[in-house]
Amino acid sequence: MASGLTYTAVDSTALSTAEYYGKALVELGTEHPEVVAITADLAKSTKIGDFMKKFPDRFFNVGIAEQNMFGIAAGMAKAGLVPFLSTFSQFASMRVADQLHTDICYQNVNAKVIATHAGTSFGQAGSTHHAICDLALVSSLPNLTVIVPADSMETVNAVRTAYETPGPFYIRINRGFDHVLYDSTEYGFQLGKAVELHAGTDITVIACGSCAYQALTAAQFLDNADGLKVRVLNMHTIKPLDKEAILKAIMDTRRIVTVEDHSVIGGLGSAVANVMAEAGKGCAFQKLGFQDEFAPIGLHEDIMSIAGIDSNGIIAAVREVMGKDFEEDDNWTDDV
Amino acid sequence: MPSQNELFTNKLFLNAILPLLKVIATDDPKLAKRFANAHAVIQISAKNPEAPGGKVATHFVVNSGEWLVHNDRTTKDPHIELEFKSIEAMNAFFKGQMNASTLPKIHGILKKTGVFASFMMLLLKMSSLLTAKAPPEDAATKALLVKCYFYLLPAGISQLNKLGHEAIHDWTSKSPDRVYALAVNGHPEVASYIRIKAGKSRAGRGEYTRAMPFFTLRFDSFDSALGILMSIDDMLEATKAGRLIMDGAPEFGAQLGEFLLTVGTFVQ
Repeated sequence: MASGLTYTAVDSTALSTAEYYGKALVELGTEHPEVVAITADLAKSTKIGDFMKKFPDRFFNVGIAEQNMFGIAAGMAKAGLVPFLSTFSQFASMRVADQLHTDICYQNVNAKVIATHAGTSFGQAGSTHHAICDLALVSSLPNLTVIVPADSMETVNAVRTAYETPGPFYIRINRGFDHVLYDSTEYGFQLGKAVELHAGTDITVIACGSCAYQALTAAQFLDNADGLKVRVLNMHTIKPLDKEAILKAIMDTRRIVTVEDHSVIGGLGSAVANVMAEAGKGCAFQKLGFQDEFAPIGLHEDIMSIAGIDSNGIIAAVREVMGKDFEEDDNWTDDV
Repeated sequence: MPSQNELFTNKLFLNAILPLLKVIATDDPKLAKRFANAHAVIQISAKNPEAPGGKVATHFVVNSGEWLVHNDRTTKDPHIELEFKSIEAMNAFFKGQMNASTLPKIHGILKKTGVFASFMMLLLKMSSLLTAKAPPEDAATKALLVKCYFYLLPAGISQLNKLGHEAIHDWTSKSPDRVYALAVNGHPEVASYIRIKAGKSRAGRGEYTRAMPFFTLRFDSFDSALGILMSIDDMLEATKAGRLIMDGAPEFGAQLGEFLLTVGTFVQ
């Protein structure tokens, strides 16, 4: 497996979530003639070039006109097709907010938005291409299912699940170069069900997207270095959220750290906090992500490090939260 | 001056073992009946010139079958008192070495003859329970014995920690906020636990409900629990056969087991 910034061309193909999205879409297209692909001049970047070559009459490039793309896709879905819309996350959320809201979600059409270059995965392109507020927007849209796959295998599962499940989807994947978390698609992916990557009862780290791998690495390090048993949940589905797994983590460990390549406002951390507040159970809690600030421009790894959402940032946060009391209880007198 | 080991042992008797008298007096129906109308303050003490007031003690306030335990605390005017001449004598007596030099002076027999007789029966019952080589026959006594062991052992570890036992204090000092629990499936009434955090410890009775224990030594039945607690059964065999279930990382189970044995070595 590649690590750090040392990638080969082979690695880039193997590690890229978008590459696997492209492959999965070709498979779906082969199996299901109603599947169509639509993009706003980003076929190459969003890795759907293979679909275009194989099914040229089911591929549509609307040009740099994302709002139109969403309106067109809604019409296609109404006509019985299953459009997969591919563009960058920033455009698939912010630029098309009205069309996503009214044409796709309000109509509850069977359109699947594949939002690539998520979070800061296209870090060097700058803030205009950083999607760190998209989850806050799309998670609030009724009817929309929101998935943030952790790696390429999970992307394949998410894309297939989106096809198999009626209604609009927003699948948020990275530009590429993500670490491989799963060897195959056979690890029990279920829509709305978190995957436990590491067992533990000291504290729970809940992560999504590329942060899931970082959380697992942090948990393994903390086990060896500090003897801490960190539960790691890959919360791939942001909506519907796996409240059961979160409640269990709250009750079992009473210490939670969330980590996401997104603002700490309105994303995974906020969703977990809502569950916690509704449960009425105190919890030592920390949200890792962008703290109401824009991300700097740079490589994804560097930005993750600066934001504290890489393994080292998670390790520091876990150590800090372990020192906090989750509830007032300073009775150290033995029962008699 | 008593050795450190004698001091450790004495604290275990005062704070972990004598408090079990309350458990036995309230759980054993015959004894509960005997204390149902009793009103008395009963003290077990040992002279110790180093201690404030010249003695160490645990005393019990009994009111109509309700027991209050004041462990490691003396009272000046108990109705009944078993007073040992030293903590070494007290330790030896409770370890079963009964002779002229270890027997306590008994005060207040005439004032509360009935309560005294009942209290002696209670002491004998505790002694027979905790020194038994084989598990009891009847289910109620099995449950009571498991409860006694479950309450005693975490309390013993916690006391040793508070006294600065090197290995145990080192363990608690390095630990984050964690709970180690003892349980028998289907019988939450006997469960117990020890919570440790940065050098502090607390032995608790019942199930720990604030969070999931970090490690639980769980048995499938009272018989299985007694098999291990009375050193009749083999831990590995019991684990393999499902009589003993370790909820948590086994290495932490081994560590807990080691400290449970440490308590045993002081009070056996």
